[in-house]
Amino acid sequence: MNTRRPVAATLAVAGYVIMIVPILFVVATSFTGGSTLRFPPEGLSLRWFDAAVHHTPFITAMVSSLQLAALATVLALLLGIPATLAIHRGRLPGKGLVEGLFLSPLIVPELVVGLALFQQLMIGLRLDNFTVLLIGHTVLMLPYAVRVTGASLALADPFVEEAARGLGASPLRTFFTVTLPLLRPGIFSAALLSFVTSFNNVPLSLLLQSRDFRTLPVTMLDYVQQSYDPMVAATSTIILAGTVLVAVVAERTVGFARIFGGINR
Amino acid sequence: MISRRTGLLVLPGLALLLAGFLVPSAAMLLAPPGVSPADILARLGQMLTDPYDLTIIWRTVRLGLIVTLICLVLGFPIAYLLARSTSRWSGVLLALAIFPLLLSNVVRTFGWLVVLGSNGAIGQLLLALGLVDQAPQLLYTELAIVLGLTQLFLPLAIISCYSAVAQVDPGLDDAARGLGASRTRTFWGIVAPLSGPGIVVAATLVFAGSATAYTTPYLLGGSSQRMLSTQLFSYSSVSIDWAAASATALIMTVLVFVVSGLSSLAARRGRTS
Repeated sequence: MNTRRPVAATLAVAGYVIMIVPILFVVATSFTGGSTLRFPPEGLSLRWFDAAVHHTPFITAMVSSLQLAALATVLALLLGIPATLAIHRGRLPGKGLVEGLFLSPLIVPELVVGLALFQQLMIGLRLDNFTVLLIGHTVLMLPYAVRVTGASLALADPFVEEAARGLGASPLRTFFTVTLPLLRPGIFSAALLSFVTSFNNVPLSLLLQSRDFRTLPVTMLDYVQQSYDPMVAATSTIILAGTVLVAVVAERTVGFARIFGGINR
Repeated sequence: MISRRTGLLVLPGLALLLAGFLVPSAAMLLAPPGVSPADILARLGQMLTDPYDLTIIWRTVRLGLIVTLICLVLGFPIAYLLARSTSRWSGVLLALAIFPLLLSNVVRTFGWLVVLGSNGAIGQLLLALGLVDQAPQLLYTELAIVLGLTQLFLPLAIISCYSAVAQVDPGLDDAARGLGASRTRTFWGIVAPLSGPGIVVAATLVFAGSATAYTTPYLLGGSSQRMLSTQLFSYSSVSIDWAAASATALIMTVLVFVVSGLSSLAARRGRTS
């Protein structure tokens, strides 16, 4: 990468190896013809992909996880965008405190939140686990909605909105024709980040499982603990392919690096 | 859009935060079913004196610190080289560093089972080379946890450091170099101090993440290398000991809060000095 800085370049290579190489090994083992998780793989076959797509617990859990992620994302945006608007554009007492509250789910360990919801809502109030998962995931996604759309809103010129109002547009019309289009890239970033985060979540969802509704990452975790076969490698490769697709869509629309931490290139 | 009523739009979100996060969390930490705050305090005191529990707390803190250090040592150079590079490959490399953040932690951690397992790549390689008689035990060790956590949190460290380094004007580097400073001196005298706040953010994110991660210690540490997170899970689902679960949750939460507090203090001092 840079031969004039040998130390930095060596460390950088080591970093990339740790980040990427294990993922490549997963892909390689998923095509094994053998029946155990060993490397180098014994022969080449698609048998574990066949097993994975016919393994009902995984398929059901994948559908559940996709549903949960989609619903939680929509809900977080429906609650988060108005809240962001109120924080940035409204007259709100204790603005800093309110914004802090909306970001607070990021600081408390997810496992702790999961335990709280399990104990208080699932056991205490006897809510079904899907409702509790939806509540928990929405809470967890709210900070993304507030922060990412807040960043777009801070960049948007409030005078454009005022001009629309001055020209006689109603507040609602101003929102849908002026503010919302300005927020679109931010909303898209928040939606993508929320969806992926929810779909992949383990710590929050861990305790909130039931026989009727299980999420995919937790189901895979349980499976790995019991049997050591390459089916999880095949499932992982399928998830990897899906994630690459999401990344490509992100790159083509908002720009991949911009979605995270406002990196502008 | 500036109107008095706009402020009311905050209410639905606030209601969800209260009912679905703040109230349940407070209730769980202070008064779980059938347990009084005094019971939790007693259990907390027991944990902070019991040698076995202390091992787990210390392992959580120690591995968190080690992973934070490694992520900074590996992540900062990556961020620095990417931010300063003019190569057209730097965009691809940046995307490659960020991409793992989108990928499931279970998938990423599973990779280490293939690499470190007894039939895994490293063990088989050492056997094939005749360096060992039987595959070494790499899985279910602290090393495995450190590797797994580093893989998970390195992208976060890179992003935070990258934003910080990118804000430092490359003209300053050139000026220092032009005035005769060595590359090393330019780095330690200009780039490192100016990107300090970003490094503090990176350290906080990585520590908080690795001290509370569940998937990695569960898959790579097994039952022999317990951390606070795996302990919390077994208290709340296997043994259903609410007092112990709340005490563990308190320790985890306080740990993260203290580190976040310290880091924002450090960032503030960095700004004013």
